[in-house]
Amino acid sequence: MLSDITLGQYFPGRSILHRLDPRVKMVLVLAAIVLIFTAFNFASMGLVVALVIAGMLLSGVPVKMYLKSMKAILFIVAFTSILNLFYGTGEPIFQWGFMQITMNGVYRCIFIAIRITALILCSSILTFTTSPTQLTDAMERLMKPLKLFRVPVHDIAMIMTIALRFVPTLLEETDKIMSAQKARGADMESGGLMQRIKSLIPILIPLFVSAFRRAYDLAMAMECRCYNSRMTPTKMKQLHMAGRDAVAIVVVLVVIAGVVVGDIFLPSLA
Amino acid sequence: MEFIKADNVRFAYEPAEGELPREVLHGVSLEIKKGEFVALLGHNGCGKSTMAKLFNGMLLPTEGKVTVEGMDTADEETIYEVRRRVGLVQQNPDNQLVASIVEEDVAFGPENLGIEPKEIRRRVDEALKAVDMYEYRENAPYKLSGGQKQRVAIAGIIAMEPDCIVLDEPTAMLDPRGRDEVMETIHKLNREKGITIILITHYMDEAVQAGRVIVMDEGNILTEGTPREVFSQVELLKQHHLDVPQATELAYRLRSYGCGIPDGILNEEECVGALYALIRKE
Repeated sequence: MLSDITLGQYFPGRSILHRLDPRVKMVLVLAAIVLIFTAFNFASMGLVVALVIAGMLLSGVPVKMYLKSMKAILFIVAFTSILNLFYGTGEPIFQWGFMQITMNGVYRCIFIAIRITALILCSSILTFTTSPTQLTDAMERLMKPLKLFRVPVHDIAMIMTIALRFVPTLLEETDKIMSAQKARGADMESGGLMQRIKSLIPILIPLFVSAFRRAYDLAMAMECRCYNSRMTPTKMKQLHMAGRDAVAIVVVLVVIAGVVVGDIFLPSLA
Repeated sequence: MEFIKADNVRFAYEPAEGELPREVLHGVSLEIKKGEFVALLGHNGCGKSTMAKLFNGMLLPTEGKVTVEGMDTADEETIYEVRRRVGLVQQNPDNQLVASIVEEDVAFGPENLGIEPKEIRRRVDEALKAVDMYEYRENAPYKLSGGQKQRVAIAGIIAMEPDCIVLDEPTAMLDPRGRDEVMETIHKLNREKGITIILITHYMDEAVQAGRVIVMDEGNILTEGTPREVFSQVELLKQHHLDVPQATELAYRLRSYGCGIPDGILNEEECVGALYALIRKE
């Protein structure tokens, strides 16, 4: 019940996107997201959309999964784009009372819908093809320069690793506690909103108590395995860039150039 | 020479507000030799888990001292060397795995020690093979059974190449099959790699398999010796509400009814043998 969330899930595979260096993948996805918000006409946007679609197809993950991850945010897409419809400037093409729609508004509406959709798809490509450990690992390495500013990069990465490690454990535990409370006659499915929120308390309290107990045990286990802030830890898995990473970087650079050229030479629509 | 030495160790936990400190260990002295397989036996609250945490400096004695190859566990300079040499495996396998992939969890210890990546890879593979979990190296821990998780936890300790592993009731939360897997692994490590094992348990049949048994009761050592020596003192153990292995119990009762069954029977095989001899004689 709690386990069918596709957004942020990882699908193991051997596609070229799976095998890209996670650091490169992360930077490229960030670049693509920036591009999505800097493309101001159909030619530029088309280029970015083509990049995202190519990414989806290359990932080897069924398109159905991408659509599934879209389902959750469909409402947000519809809501924001309809809202934008009425915020255009220029000559109105349709007017009803104080509400007016302009050509600019129509473009805004279309662009915002494409932008949010592409944003979600883009981040889905990253999470679908990169394991959580690779993600935290890449993040740790990318944030390394922040160490100069005394940011505890390694500790942050450790926190993320542990959080990810305990998600399934705590989900399982929540299910167990829910069953246990139901067996004792707890009612979680009826009543108004407040009633339902209140009925969560007998689940949350045992969950928290057990989470703290786990935290204590885990801290002990980590100390037993010489975890400390004095020594500088090494990594078993080293990341290496390969030819395919260079190709991916070049492809994204070409798209960036295309978008910049398009933005400069074509009129801005939204 | 003794490998771990506890000298007149007393220990009291930090009391809660408004309470008096309650001492859990009242001057325990014991010695563990390299390569030994020692079982530390006793029922809940006798101080055996506290003892486990004293062996690698997770807790420090309030009085007396614990040394590992001459290094005092209270010495901050050598504490990481002590922890590398004496690994601790806890009861709940779920709460001691750090990473979401088996092999990365096993690499956690050596990574903290700052070992070269290639050497870590070698150690991780070797450790996983030693506990028969090599095929599962890329799995997520939450998909494994209890016994498998506990073996991964043991591999995480072995990867630090310790001289000794302390196991605090490692089988308490496992099903019978998981228990067998873990016990088999521990024996194999002791036999083949010469790793000193200190097994803390309240299962008598696990204690019987050890080379030496130390029985604790209310913060003191009650008795110690080979399993045969310890479990032939049935009266003493019973006085302190401790169990003896089932076969020992049966032999003891038969003897108290006047059957001529010899002393010091430890397992079913010996019991069957003795009964068979008895019947033939009559």
